[in-house]
Amino acid sequence: MADEFPFEISPMFEGERVRKDGMYVELAGPKSKGFELVKAVGMDEIEDGKFTLIGPDLSEMEEGSRHPIAMIYRVAGELVEPDLEAIVERRNHDFQNYIQGVMHLNQRYDIWIRVSKDAVKKGLNSFEQVAKATMMLFKNELPFIEKIETTYITDLAEAEKELEAAMESYKIRDERTRNLHDEDVDVFYGCTLCQSFAPTNVCVVTPDRISLCGAINWFDGRAAAKVDPEGPQFAIEKGEVIDAVGGEYSGVNDLAKSLSNGEYDRIKIHSFFEFPHTSCGCFEVVGFYIPEVDGIGWVDRDFTATAPNGLPFSTMAGQTGGGKQIVGFLGIGINYFRSPKFIEADGGWERVVWMPKNLKDKVLVDIPEDIVDKIATEEDVTDLESLKAFLIGKDHPILERWVEEEEEEEEEAEEAIEDIAAAAPGMMQMPAQAMMAGAVAPMAMAGGSGGGVKVILKNAKVSIDRIIIKKSE
Amino acid sequence: MSEIRAGSFTIEELENVQITIGSIVGAIEKKAEDEGEMGPTPKPGIVDIREWDHKLLNRYEPVYTPMCDQCCYCTFGTCDLTGNKEGACGINMAAHQAREFLLRVITGAAAHAGHGRHLLHHLIKTHGADHPIDVGPTNIKAPVIQTVTGIKPETLGDLEPVLDYVEEQLTQLLATIHAGQEGAAIDFESKALHGGMIDHVGMEVSDIAQISCLGMPKADPEAPLAEIGMGTIDSKKPVLLCIGHNVAGVTYIMDYMDEHDLTDKIELAGLCCTAIDMTRYNMDAGGTPTAKIVGSLAKELKYIRSGIPDVIVVDEQCVRADVLQEAQALSIPVICTNEKIMYGLPNRSNDNVDDIINDLLSGREAGALVLDFDKIGELAPRLVMEIAPIRKAKGITALPTDEKFKELTNKCVHCLACEMACPMNLPISDAMTAAADGDLTPFEILHDKCIACGRCEQECPKDIDIVNVIEKASQKVIREEKGMMRAGRGQVSDPEIREEGVNLVLGTTPGIVAMVGCSNYPDGTKDLYDIAKEMLKRSYIVVVSGCTAMDLGMYKNEEGKTLYEEFSGSFLKGNLINVGSCVSNSHITATTIKVAAIFAQRNVTGNFEEIADYVTNRVGAVGIAWGAYSQKAASIGTGCTRLGIPVILGPHGSKYRRALIGKPYDSHKWSVFDARNGEEMAIPPAPDFLISTVDNAEEIMPILAKSCMRPTDNNMGRMIKLTHYIELSEKYLGVMPDDWHKFIRTETDLPLARRKDLLKILETEHGWEIDWKKKKILSGPTMKFDVSAQPTNFKRLCKEA
Repeated sequence: MADEFPFEISPMFEGERVRKDGMYVELAGPKSKGFELVKAVGMDEIEDGKFTLIGPDLSEMEEGSRHPIAMIYRVAGELVEPDLEAIVERRNHDFQNYIQGVMHLNQRYDIWIRVSKDAVKKGLNSFEQVAKATMMLFKNELPFIEKIETTYITDLAEAEKELEAAMESYKIRDERTRNLHDEDVDVFYGCTLCQSFAPTNVCVVTPDRISLCGAINWFDGRAAAKVDPEGPQFAIEKGEVIDAVGGEYSGVNDLAKSLSNGEYDRIKIHSFFEFPHTSCGCFEVVGFYIPEVDGIGWVDRDFTATAPNGLPFSTMAGQTGGGKQIVGFLGIGINYFRSPKFIEADGGWERVVWMPKNLKDKVLVDIPEDIVDKIATEEDVTDLESLKAFLIGKDHPILERWVEEEEEEEEEAEEAIEDIAAAAPGMMQMPAQAMMAGAVAPMAMAGGSGGGVKVILKNAKVSIDRIIIKKSE
Repeated sequence: MSEIRAGSFTIEELENVQITIGSIVGAIEKKAEDEGEMGPTPKPGIVDIREWDHKLLNRYEPVYTPMCDQCCYCTFGTCDLTGNKEGACGINMAAHQAREFLLRVITGAAAHAGHGRHLLHHLIKTHGADHPIDVGPTNIKAPVIQTVTGIKPETLGDLEPVLDYVEEQLTQLLATIHAGQEGAAIDFESKALHGGMIDHVGMEVSDIAQISCLGMPKADPEAPLAEIGMGTIDSKKPVLLCIGHNVAGVTYIMDYMDEHDLTDKIELAGLCCTAIDMTRYNMDAGGTPTAKIVGSLAKELKYIRSGIPDVIVVDEQCVRADVLQEAQALSIPVICTNEKIMYGLPNRSNDNVDDIINDLLSGREAGALVLDFDKIGELAPRLVMEIAPIRKAKGITALPTDEKFKELTNKCVHCLACEMACPMNLPISDAMTAAADGDLTPFEILHDKCIACGRCEQECPKDIDIVNVIEKASQKVIREEKGMMRAGRGQVSDPEIREEGVNLVLGTTPGIVAMVGCSNYPDGTKDLYDIAKEMLKRSYIVVVSGCTAMDLGMYKNEEGKTLYEEFSGSFLKGNLINVGSCVSNSHITATTIKVAAIFAQRNVTGNFEEIADYVTNRVGAVGIAWGAYSQKAASIGTGCTRLGIPVILGPHGSKYRRALIGKPYDSHKWSVFDARNGEEMAIPPAPDFLISTVDNAEEIMPILAKSCMRPTDNNMGRMIKLTHYIELSEKYLGVMPDDWHKFIRTETDLPLARRKDLLKILETEHGWEIDWKKKKILSGPTMKFDVSAQPTNFKRLCKEA
């Protein structure tokens, strides 16, 4: 490793735990105070590489003691902007964990740091060493940081004073994130990192749509694109709005075409049925169309039983992914449930009819109040019949669609079904198979007489592989 | 009745007729074809995937290490093949060595397929042909079977045509061993690869059949922990020892013990994969396995000689040929339960259990062949309950008394004949001297390294039972041999792979290291622990099976935890997963196939070549068979290599006679097509072998990291993989690897913490141009970085084709 430090720096130390009896000092954490903060500042406001410590240094701390710590990084550069602060800040966790003998948990005002006795024995005796290593890693990873200056505070009063300002920064940042929507920005970001496994998948990351794997949000995309505009994460000019509700933009379409290698040429970011977003395969939840109630169910990876349509997660998930546009199934990250544009094109939450209990509980606060009790779980229904009854009993808004449909001309409806069927062979075929199995089984069991199925053999030739003749007992 | 013959006849009347249609084969197959689901090579014969083999063998050339330079296959011979001479039939050295390797592979494959056939017959009889296959949450129940044969098995009965196919291929391959068949080494090699692939099909049949029927964990990350080690066995109880690989018969013993309240009264212990599968039996709903694991093959003779087992039950594979003699000497009756091992014993399958017990108890017979599982179930527990008190009262053991031990160690004349005979050349003579002086430590060290083959004893001019001496000296460490192994969990489920996808993409999981194989380690079992721990700490997923899974559980950290307790068992970064026994190895290749199906929606059905091409270019997995000894290890490894997964063998692996080694300096061999446009694109020279041997654990570490690099790595993945490659080389070999720069496409591929230093080296030592202000590489790399590139070895898979 870089020789100037008395410790190794490697991703292999990420999982390293410093336990109580191996700990030299504990910083911040549940029994003390602290925070980490990154601020974007002007180029001439800071001195590159400078480190200031307010309060006692590591060498002045007693073995086994606990202290507060505030870590403030001021960064500057031509491309540095406040929108990137959160992204840079989150890396503090990773980088400090790369340092052998330093354990960093949580983020923002919840940070909890321990330095091990072994590390101190090997020569780690000043916070300056930690700060310098972290600054080096920041600049290596994020070259848009041209200058960086660091202040650590281990004095309680000083740290508390700064904490207030930090809380204000977090608040402003969170508001900005919450209030930033697709229509507020000119650029989205594309991510093709997973093309190493899913060759034609392109993730479009917008303020209202986090990447499907949950790892990249719009701000991450923005930071990465600044680091390397030609890299696997890049800006997409929105271009013209084609469908504001469904989330279709000319810029996105153009890019989709070239990056998917011509596999598809339109994407509606917030649509389930029309040109849905593709997925690589690591989605946490798969949505599935239930034609019998014209609604959408969602099932997550942890749910091992079968959904009301008789299929488990793994089977339905197997219908989609691989960067292919499949109508009838949609893979998403759990965070997308929290998006205000959640399948907006298809009616949003009003189209949702079923979720596993655990998943529903996880996103409970994000479900509109008037619908939350109308979404069934495995505790309410077990099959399509009971689902239908549940929806009727709860007066689910989906019922309105049933009426609408009935009013529509029959021909049109048939056409629509055919459309969906053509686009989603897997989807239509599977329920059919399940039905077939259901119909065949009782017939066989009832010896051909019951089960409501009559089999008539006319001019039949029965060829038998083997006849086994046994004495009757 | 006897007048009914095959042919057409008319039935006059039908009454109460029930027509059961087992499967409507034609209709389903036709539909599959209509939808274009069936790939180009369902049930491939020897020639069908040959093009792929030749591509692999062109990049990874066979290198032969003849154990013997003669051929003695026919009576024209013996023929000397040295110095480019041909044998009487015209065969040359390379072809003959490749033929020898092929023979190893199909022998191993036949062992698994034979095991599978036996198991399937049995399970169909007990559970019915329509018993559903249930392996846990998955969209593809049998990835290897589906990829190779195009069959999607839903029931036990569906596995029969799969085995029919396996058996046909094995027959065709075995036929080519005969004199006057194949003449070209490269086609023997291709046939060996075919045999390896077939082996994984046979293994998958075996394991998914038993998982579905015997209540084994179904892709369960939290499969229970089982006790392992010679020190865990309570020798005060009657000890029933089962040895082998086929658990079918043993389940009857376990059921009988359960039904007759004997589970607490009898110590049920196992050796080899039967032991692993005993801890999987009926564990799909959780619980604690009651069976204990003694260990791997290396413990077999040691444990018999201890005299602790009161009854031995053997089934098949990796069971010593002299078990009966060894056991007889210690009055331990042996029950053979499988026609593969019968030891010349009388067939008592149709006899009364009481009669058999009497004959064994009285010593009139040393053992019995009993193929009826119901009888075995009753016989073994009853026999052990009756014989144990007698044996224990006599205190029967082969181990010397303290006085005798002294006498034996003093008797040694230090002629070193034992050390010459020892496959490990262990320093026995010095240990004898130390022991004579009262220092047992050297023998305690030998105890771990000794595989208890007993060859030393055959050579000793003083007739010292050296294995017994080693074991006697090691009683203290043996008592402490208490570990834990996570029971085999079966397949990796789809939801796990989906969850792990993001880590594989972002490089937070730098690769998958599969540690498999037997106990022929070059330097004891500790290496396994060290290798696994190093890679786990670096967030690699470590997958284990068989003997390696067992031996890994024997070591503990400072807190007294084994790796199984220290690391979780999901298919997630930094997790340690035990798939199960030997036949569970198919789940490792199956996982790579699932990756292709899940993330790229590749059609796997009957589409081996395309899937192998995907795995080769994209899935960073590497296998280690550190103690590979058997023919099965050869076939398992070869099956991996046909999918493009490189395999590293311990030093004894060179005795398999051949390796597949690439030439990193031969740049035109490291080039593929870009499927987007059919243009050629350069790829990094990694992995630079498909099968190779490595001398010691230090050397293997950086090779593991390097072998996980793939052409499609994105910059984050490459950066992490390269970081570990460089770090492991520095840590274990003390040097920077000399080829690290070959893997750099862009500055973001460089390890984060030393980007500046490495850029400097690239500039000064390799002449690359660097823009220092932007810290960007301007020129130098031989490869372009383009994450959207789609490397393939097949022109036919390219857009333009």
